[in-house]
Amino acid sequence: MSEFQELVKSFSKTREYVRDFFVYGFKTRNEFKTKSPRTYDNERRRLESWLAPFVRKDYGSKGSNISLAIDSNLLDTNPLFQVWKTKSFTDNDIMLHFLILDLLWDGQILTAEEITDNLLTRYETLFDIQTVRRKCNAYAKEGIIHKKKQGKTVVFSLDNRLILWLKSHEDALDALAFYQMAGCFGIVGNLLTDQLGFFNETFRVKHSFFVHTLEEEILLELLDAMNHKKSVNLTIKSSKREFTNTISCVPLQIFTSARSGRRFLCAYLEKKRRFSCFRLDTIKNVTSLEISQVYEELLEKLDKNRRHLWGVSFEGPERRHLDRLTMTLQVQEPMEHYIIDRLEHEGRGGTVTRIAENTYRYETEVFDCNEMLPWVRTFTGRILSLECTAKSVEQRFYQDLQNMYQMYEIE
Amino acid sequence: MELFSETYSCYYQVLHHLLCCQNPLTIEDIRREISQEGFGESLISMIPKLENGTWNLFERDGIIYRSKLNSSFSMPVTSLEQSYLKALLSDPRMGLFLDPKQLDNLNDMLASAVPLWKQEQFYYYDQFTDGDPYTDEKYRSIFRTLLAAQKQRRYVDIDYTSPRGTRVHHYYVPARLEYSVKNDKFRLLALKQCGHSRMRLETLNLSRMQRVIPTDKILSSPVDFNHMIQHSYYTDPLRLHIINKRNALERAMLHFANYNKNTTKIDENTYECLIYYNQNMETELLIEVLSFGPMLKVLGNERFLYSLKARLQRQKEITSELCLQNPK
Repeated sequence: MSEFQELVKSFSKTREYVRDFFVYGFKTRNEFKTKSPRTYDNERRRLESWLAPFVRKDYGSKGSNISLAIDSNLLDTNPLFQVWKTKSFTDNDIMLHFLILDLLWDGQILTAEEITDNLLTRYETLFDIQTVRRKCNAYAKEGIIHKKKQGKTVVFSLDNRLILWLKSHEDALDALAFYQMAGCFGIVGNLLTDQLGFFNETFRVKHSFFVHTLEEEILLELLDAMNHKKSVNLTIKSSKREFTNTISCVPLQIFTSARSGRRFLCAYLEKKRRFSCFRLDTIKNVTSLEISQVYEELLEKLDKNRRHLWGVSFEGPERRHLDRLTMTLQVQEPMEHYIIDRLEHEGRGGTVTRIAENTYRYETEVFDCNEMLPWVRTFTGRILSLECTAKSVEQRFYQDLQNMYQMYEIE
Repeated sequence: MELFSETYSCYYQVLHHLLCCQNPLTIEDIRREISQEGFGESLISMIPKLENGTWNLFERDGIIYRSKLNSSFSMPVTSLEQSYLKALLSDPRMGLFLDPKQLDNLNDMLASAVPLWKQEQFYYYDQFTDGDPYTDEKYRSIFRTLLAAQKQRRYVDIDYTSPRGTRVHHYYVPARLEYSVKNDKFRLLALKQCGHSRMRLETLNLSRMQRVIPTDKILSSPVDFNHMIQHSYYTDPLRLHIINKRNALERAMLHFANYNKNTTKIDENTYECLIYYNQNMETELLIEVLSFGPMLKVLGNERFLYSLKARLQRQKEITSELCLQNPK
């Protein structure tokens, strides 16, 4: 039986567990059906170790469960960043990391042979030259050190100007403290603040979804393909069903919702000749393929289509090209002007017209009016009428209202 | 460019701090550092490696450990981090922090880096369109004044246009700058003196500030800001049942992921969720709950339930009135 290890080799294995513990706090051991109980126990133990201050244990009739109790109002950083700092390594890895960087820090330019000699003479540590060269090459690839040819000799050096510049500019450190909380790839900002020994004590972020960080590795691969205008194969695991499938597409843009906590890849499906969106948390793997010859054309086409997109759906329930939604609202003037502001700022290009005293009409044409219903419902209490060319949307709205009247016994 | 790399690992970080420490260390000092900065079980893995010399990075002198490293180096900025910084340079909010000369310097140092992403590769489809004016000089100056005052716990005199349009000015101590992704706005979470030595937490939009003047007065002792926020939460949380139709469970769990919440399974298709909130969050939470329609059922608290029912009552009344006026 192998010993429990706190660190892990691969991120993807842990990704789903962390997400499940974070998003669903109620699953018991028996409900993690896809993995063995032993795997569950190890993953749970790791999570408790990495995220100890945020782990909550509850005991119910069906067994105990653990969840992550994270109140973003109280946090200066994203606790889930810890998960990125758990990669396992060998004893040689950690030794060479510190010794090589220490050796090169003062500006020396050395060959792999010279580095190996210095490790022995300065630090009394013996490594074979192949191991040292392999590590130097790997670090050069990651940009940690520089590799260049001097004549026929390969030499390695270290450029510390940027890290020293960042360290000496508090304004830059403040920027990193902010961006590690807000915006994409906050984890990279957080790694930098770790390296610089700086901690955020100034910024808080609202409507930022901590769980997004678990998708950053997938996002990195997608952006790389997008930057090179390449098609990709996506391995997708359905969130509702257990099966996985592979989809070939041209990745074009990342769609982010500041409300629902979801992020999507918007891509073009060449076989079906249409755009489609895939939730990033369902994408398990990305493989880059060939360069798309029509990448710019597709981007232009998407840009034109986007004006009729409410969320992420390019097709409505009745499979028409576009549907029109008209909502008439009661707004007490002038006290409730903020409602007009809401329609204008949240209405995604829809028109707002004053049609009578205290009465406004909002109108828009989109691919899928069904997606608008959650937003429409936020105006409950002032909706005079709702009309939609997709009658099923209209019916659902009124039926849902009736259900709510019954649910809350509204006379 | 690897994101999941051992060079960013927690163990490397902890060891880096230990190695760059100028003072000799005992094994107890090392244990303390690992306990504070490492993971829950890091001690078990790290201590034997240091004690038995597998990680031969310290000179041992009896019970004393001295770092073998000569310099207090920092890990250089990796390619991934350079690309990240390069991408940030295109973000209009970067000008809130760095002046044009600093931006140029940073840009020069990142000349060979490829931005990790471009602004246009991301589309925030439900972000509000009245975001703050990040390139406006007055706004930038107010931001910087508040940032400096926050660090010094300095009182500032804020001249503010209230949502009703009236001009007011008060003295505040900036506690945190809060950015809302949905609103694309900064708000100041500020402490205001109310009565003798009592502080109250207020939220002010930066874009409504007309002028911010630092004063000479400094708040003498730090305030437990998180305690104030927690203290502001209603003791009786929002209690709701999620009816798992139309994927409502997953949508709700993700939607409310940022709140302090606790969810339990009631039966095969129903889940109970408790959400903790304060008065400032109330209206937003109410419309978020409404957006789910009948998939969420609010059971309490009374206050929340009353507000929800009032909206539904009003909705039913105006629909009925219309039916009477325009019978089909």
